[in-house]
Amino acid sequence: MDLVRHLRYFTVVAEELHFGNAAIRLGMAQPPLSQRIKRLEEELGVRLFDRSARQVRLTEAGRLLLGEAREIVARVDRLHELARQGEGTVLKVGVPPDLAAAVIAALVAGFRETNPGVRLAPAEIWTADQLAALAEGAIDVGLVRHPVSAPGLRFGQVLVQAQGVLLAEGDPLAGVGEVHLADLAGRELLMPPREGEPGMHAETLAECRRHGYVPVQVHEGVGLGLVLAGAAVAFGPKVELPGVAWRPLLGSPIMCRVSVAWRPATAPISASVDDFAAVAVRTLKESAGMTDERAVPVRRVSRRPGMLA
Amino acid sequence: MSLPDFDALFRGAGVTGWLYAADIDSGHEVGHRPDEPLPTASMFKVPLLVALCRQADAGLFDLSERVTVTDADRSPGPTGIAAMLDDVTISLRDLAYLMITVSDNTSADVLLGRVGFEAVNDMLAAFGLEGTRVTQTCRQLDDAMSADAGHGWPYLDAEDLARLSVLDPARTNRSTPRELARLFAMIWRDEAASAESCAWMRGVFNMQVWPHRLASGFPYDDVAVGGKTGTLPTLRGESGVVEYPDGRRYAVAVITRSFSTALNQPRADAAIGTAARMAVDHLRR
Repeated sequence: MDLVRHLRYFTVVAEELHFGNAAIRLGMAQPPLSQRIKRLEEELGVRLFDRSARQVRLTEAGRLLLGEAREIVARVDRLHELARQGEGTVLKVGVPPDLAAAVIAALVAGFRETNPGVRLAPAEIWTADQLAALAEGAIDVGLVRHPVSAPGLRFGQVLVQAQGVLLAEGDPLAGVGEVHLADLAGRELLMPPREGEPGMHAETLAECRRHGYVPVQVHEGVGLGLVLAGAAVAFGPKVELPGVAWRPLLGSPIMCRVSVAWRPATAPISASVDDFAAVAVRTLKESAGMTDERAVPVRRVSRRPGMLA
Repeated sequence: MSLPDFDALFRGAGVTGWLYAADIDSGHEVGHRPDEPLPTASMFKVPLLVALCRQADAGLFDLSERVTVTDADRSPGPTGIAAMLDDVTISLRDLAYLMITVSDNTSADVLLGRVGFEAVNDMLAAFGLEGTRVTQTCRQLDDAMSADAGHGWPYLDAEDLARLSVLDPARTNRSTPRELARLFAMIWRDEAASAESCAWMRGVFNMQVWPHRLASGFPYDDVAVGGKTGTLPTLRGESGVVEYPDGRRYAVAVITRSFSTALNQPRADAAIGTAARMAVDHLRR
């Protein structure tokens, strides 16, 4: 089946909650639409809609899958749009695969506005692979996570964002205002792949250990399925996702630090890289809630006398 | 944001509780019957410490002055000089250190003899802390308990407890959760005495040894807790300041009365920390 097309039908029906209206919006008849939703439900093995009442309602499973479905549809739309863009200079850009779809879209739109003559070709690549791709010239510019060590590359302004913790909404910690890393004891941790983000991996786990959290197991992956299932927690920016609770981390111990990275190049790519770096800083501040990097406050460790008694 | 369910927490720990917490810098506050007059138990040592510092600031004496504490000066108590056997020569500030960090009753009475009730209470009145008064030494507290009960420690029978005047705020050292927290906030804002004295007092409160009450609610290396406990039969309390890694700081006072007369009630102690945590968490939302 064409899964993306079926997911698009699903998102439209979920918005309308009415098969007739959704069919009109999609420019098709109602019976084939119903059939396709049924096929999607078979494919996924869950019921997405409750059609028993007079009104169509999303099932719990449908509610949980809707966000992901929207994201997939948005990414595919963007892919097609990029493919449609005209010829001319191509700027090959690497972005981390877990960067929010909205942020990637804003990056592309912002860059197109200032550089209509340059086609942006984004690819989702983890930091470590971006560094290799930059060195090889496979991409012109990357958006990388720090800390990185890559001699010969240039880095733009570093932006930061305090990460919170993503928990299943049934987790007892979802009820408190702030979570300390030590409170996460006993929980497994979901992180981006270590091979792809070695610096961030090492730094995050070191902070966890220092603050009293040694995850029983570290899972590697991007989707939040394990978090939804209550099998793991993850660190990240605030998200609104059914079934998932986001809480700030007490003391902001986990910081996401990103910057643009590029290999010193010759014009005209060089000018495009500068423009991209400027657009990236603006977009990450406006769309991703990132801020200028400031001096990291010195971590104070309280000297409780009981510790030495 | 609705108030945390303090009653349910206290009930679950087998106690009745009173609480007040405030952001020291913004004044944002939360309370649970915060203005109820309550016995301070050993928390009266906090205004005594402040009054001692103010007298030293005024040049009445030097805190490094040494005094000799003999057996005749010894007030009963389980810690510090009260529990020692021999004469001790020690500076006034080290007596204060023992009075706060291990709640030494003998150190407290020696210092109260030096400072005087009047100076402590005049200071409290000048601070506008009208619900807080110091009227008894540790020795008088102890004598009152044995006189009321007709026997010495321990006091485990409900009939004995009903007779203890030290559990009646009208007849013993008293305060309210709000006023205890306000006094701590003044120390943390350098308003209670000279800035130098306030800094020293903060250091001493941070060296208090007990981990089971306020500090138990904040079991993190990067959160500092300074305070002073107070304990009498069925009464457990602590007031102090919790400092977060982002620099925000909260004055908190929690006092509980347990339904059971048992002396060892770790859940009642921990409820003080948990209630404080809930209050601070509420203030940070």
